Amino acid sequence: MITLEMLEPIFREVFDDNAVVLNRDTTADNIDAWDSISHMNLVLALELRFKIKFALGELKTLKNVGEMLDLINKKCSK
Amino acid sequence: MSMENFNIGYHCTGKQCELGRGGKVAMRWIGTDFERRDYTFDDLNRTTNQFANALAGLGVRRGEVLFTFLPKSPEQFVAFLGSLKAECITGTLFSNFGEDALIDRIGASEACLLVTRKSLYRKIEKVRDRLPALRMVILTDIQEDLSTDVLSWSRLMAGASPDFAVPVTDPETPSVLHYTSGSTGKPKGVLHRHRSLVKQTQTARDILGLRDDDIYWCTADQGWVTGTSYGIIGPWSLGITQVHFGGGYDARNWMELIEREKVSVWYTAPTALRMLLREEASLYGEFNLKELRHICSVGEPLNPEVITWGREVLGKDIFDTWFQTETGAIMISNRPGLAIRPGSMGIPYGDVKAGVIADDGTELGVGAQGNLCLRSGWESMFITYLKNESAYQSKFRNGWYMTGDMAWRDEDGYYWFLGRSDDVINTSGHLVSPFEVESALLELPEVAESGVIAAPDELLFEKVVAFVQLHAGFEYTPELELKMRIHVANRLSSVATPQEIFQVEALPKNKSGKIMRRVLKARYLGEEMGDISTLEERQ
Repeated sequence: MITLEMLEPIFREVFDDNAVVLNRDTTADNIDAWDSISHMNLVLALELRFKIKFALGELKTLKNVGEMLDLINKKCSK
Repeated sequence: MSMENFNIGYHCTGKQCELGRGGKVAMRWIGTDFERRDYTFDDLNRTTNQFANALAGLGVRRGEVLFTFLPKSPEQFVAFLGSLKAECITGTLFSNFGEDALIDRIGASEACLLVTRKSLYRKIEKVRDRLPALRMVILTDIQEDLSTDVLSWSRLMAGASPDFAVPVTDPETPSVLHYTSGSTGKPKGVLHRHRSLVKQTQTARDILGLRDDDIYWCTADQGWVTGTSYGIIGPWSLGITQVHFGGGYDARNWMELIEREKVSVWYTAPTALRMLLREEASLYGEFNLKELRHICSVGEPLNPEVITWGREVLGKDIFDTWFQTETGAIMISNRPGLAIRPGSMGIPYGDVKAGVIADDGTELGVGAQGNLCLRSGWESMFITYLKNESAYQSKFRNGWYMTGDMAWRDEDGYYWFLGRSDDVINTSGHLVSPFEVESALLELPEVAESGVIAAPDELLFEKVVAFVQLHAGFEYTPELELKMRIHVANRLSSVATPQEIFQVEALPKNKSGKIMRRVLKARYLGEEMGDISTLEERQ
């Protein structure tokens, strides 16, 4: 099972901020560097590290990191 | 006779109070949670005075350079106008800049002070030893000073008087500094003067059509010239109420904001409009946008499809405007009273004289394609590239400012954009230097050579495309591609991230070893390569 702690180093690398601490309620508003382009880098990083693929528009409906984590776990369990 | 005061900070705050607008809302701040906070012109005048006094207390002198490095936030506006009141040179840095971009701007300008916040300061801390002129940093989200040179905004402001005698500022006094990317070398510091106020005010009135009772929303980030010329100076010098939103793009949020705040004039960018166009048209039926009277666009050419969409879905014309960091204010535009020609930049504004000039300096006539130039001398014309006067002089020929854009003019005087005359990439309204992206890629141990071009993109107008040659022994993998993307985003800016990266065996170079970007571009587009007589033989 993927945990928030496992996502943290990926977020820190993508957003170049070693102080990023995630909780389920974290959104792009809480991380300065999280914009639409760095979001694409995050998606690529998550796909590569967890060997999953997100469908087009699948991430658009997610409200926060918690929902993102749930989606990753769902994909990993398939 | 007393001299007229051209001080931008004064015109945007104290003068509005003198005109009886002290109690009028200057800024309606909408946070990411959609919470509303109003600041009157009195509030703006008082806080900017406090900041000007705080600067004096810190020993910051007239003519010294300072920057804000903040996402959209109320403090950014206060710092910007307060430092202009104190006749400092004020720059704004896009909050997504990476370390290299910060060094190139803060370092090259020898800025003495930076206003930022804790999370962004971590980037500065990493490179602070390379910024010897930077004496102080003010953090907007700490209560107490962290050290003798990392200071608390709230503590400084609390101790500063709300009364400040704004100096009578000569129009030639340097004012705003924005860095812009070229196709070669480091970014150049475009320096403006307080006189720019004249054109910024006129164009905000005549092109954006701002009236006293308007609620105006400019979506541009203050890190770029639109965000300062038309997100601060133009509208506030007219005493207009501005909405500023701390959140990013979201179609539903944006429409809700326009409806709820009764936005009547909206200035945004083609990329944002194209994103809105891709949404279900039914979304717009959910909102009452009847107060929205006027929409303008800036940053990249506005494609006719967007203008048609605006008419059909929003029931409004969208007026394309054109200007550059160097021009300081809108120079060519579509505007009320002129028939819109979809796809055209419009007509030069007022006394602005534009021309299409051949490479040999000859002025060209109707229909001919050439360099888009402006007759020098308009009020908001930049006064130099900071510490790079030779680059500044190279932009002028026979009294014309060479914009670097290519265009043609039709028989009715409308200008039509054709492209850049250099390799600079315009991606979603941001200029990206291929040289800087190439340099960032070369910092990676796997990359031996890199070439970067602009490629057409339906959403972004242009996208950054990179070609890389790897050192022997390295393999091109998806992990490496991700590493390159992240590296560029974090060293320069997310907007500079290559949207496509190709591995090549070798890059095309001329005989003096210069990478031939136009050959790369022709290959990418599947076009003829043109004159390749200078191509190195092994290619």
